[in-house]
Amino acid sequence: MPMKGRFPVRRTLQYLSQGDVVFKSSVKVMTVNYNTAGELSEGARKFVFFNIPQIQYKNPWVQIMLFRNMTPSPFLRFYLDSGEQVLVDVEDKTNKEITEHVKKILGKSKEMLEKEERERKKLSHPATFGPKKYHLRECMCEIEGQVPCPAFVPLPKEMRGKYKAAMKNEA
Amino acid sequence: PAWAPRAVPARGRKTRHDPPAKSKAGRVKLPPPVDPEELLVVQERYRQHRLVLSALRAEFRAEVLQKKREERLAAEGSPEELEEHRRLMAWNEEENARQRARREERLRKEEEEQKRRKSEIAEKRARKMEAFLEEKEKEVLQLQEEAKNFITPENLEARIEECLDNPRNYNFAIDKDGRIVRRTVLS
Repeated sequence: MPMKGRFPVRRTLQYLSQGDVVFKSSVKVMTVNYNTAGELSEGARKFVFFNIPQIQYKNPWVQIMLFRNMTPSPFLRFYLDSGEQVLVDVEDKTNKEITEHVKKILGKSKEMLEKEERERKKLSHPATFGPKKYHLRECMCEIEGQVPCPAFVPLPKEMRGKYKAAMKNEA
Repeated sequence: PAWAPRAVPARGRKTRHDPPAKSKAGRVKLPPPVDPEELLVVQERYRQHRLVLSALRAEFRAEVLQKKREERLAAEGSPEELEEHRRLMAWNEEENARQRARREERLRKEEEEQKRRKSEIAEKRARKMEAFLEEKEKEVLQLQEEAKNFITPENLEARIEECLDNPRNYNFAIDKDGRIVRRTVLS
C-alpha cells in the first residue's frame, strides 16, 4: 500500500501521540489565519502542516478552522466557552515557538495531565483478570508465577481429576 | 441469565436433516401448565419489583453524575484557576505587545531602506544627467573649435591657394616591425 501525501509520517500514530498540547476544557474553537506565501507566514504554515494534526489528535472535541490569505499577517484566535477570545500573533515565529506559546497559555500543565492519568488508573485494578476489554489478562494462567495453561504445558499427574479419581477408587 | 440466547444450540448426535425417532412419532409438545391467577399475581409483583429497581438504579446513576459534574466545576472555577488564567492572558498580551514592537521596528527599517534606495536612484539619475550634459557641452565646444577651420565661400580662394602652395605627401613605407619610412618623392 503506497504512502499518501508529502510527509506520510504525519499520519502515523506514533507521530500523532507525540503531540504534547492538550487544551484546557474551556477551549472550544481554534482559528488560524495565515498566508500561503511570504517569509513572515513561514512559521505559521509549518505549524499548520506539522503540528495541527497532533493537536487535533489530542483534542478531538476542539474545532479547528483554517483561513488562508485573508489578512496580511498571520495569527491564531482561541474561543473559550466563557465567550472570551484569545488572540496570538504569530508573525515571524517558528512553528516550535508557536507550539510552546500555545502550550503555555492554554495547555494543560504536566501536573494536571499526570493527575488525570492517575485518576484514570484508579478506576481499574491491574491485578484482576477477565475480558480483554476491561482487564490486562484473560486467564489466571497468563499471570507470572501461576500454573501455566494446561493447553501448552500438561498438568502434573497429581493435579488431574482423572488421577485423583483413580487413586480414590484404588483406595 | 438463563433466558439469554445461547451462542451454539446443542443438537446432540443428529443433524437437522435426520428424521425424528419412531418412539417420538405421536409426541405432542405442550407448553408448561400455567395457573392464570398465579400468573397475574406473579407478573404484577415482578413488574413492581423491576420498576422499583430501575428507579433506584436511575436515581443512583443521576446522583453519581451530579457529584462528578460538581467536582469538575469546582475544580475549574476555583479562584486559583481564574488567577492562573488571568496571569497567562496577561503574559499573552505582553507577548503580543512585544511582537507589535518588533513588527513596527521591522516596518520602520523597511521604509528607511526604501527611502534610501529611492534617494540613491535619484542621485544616480542626476549624476548621469550631469555627465550627459557635460559630454554634450564638450562636443559643442569642440565643434566651435573646428568651425574656426572650416572652409567658407569667403576664404575659399585663399584656402585653395594655400593647398596648392603646400603639397602634402601621404606616401610612406612600413615593414613588419612597424618602422615607417618616408622616402618617396612627390612628383
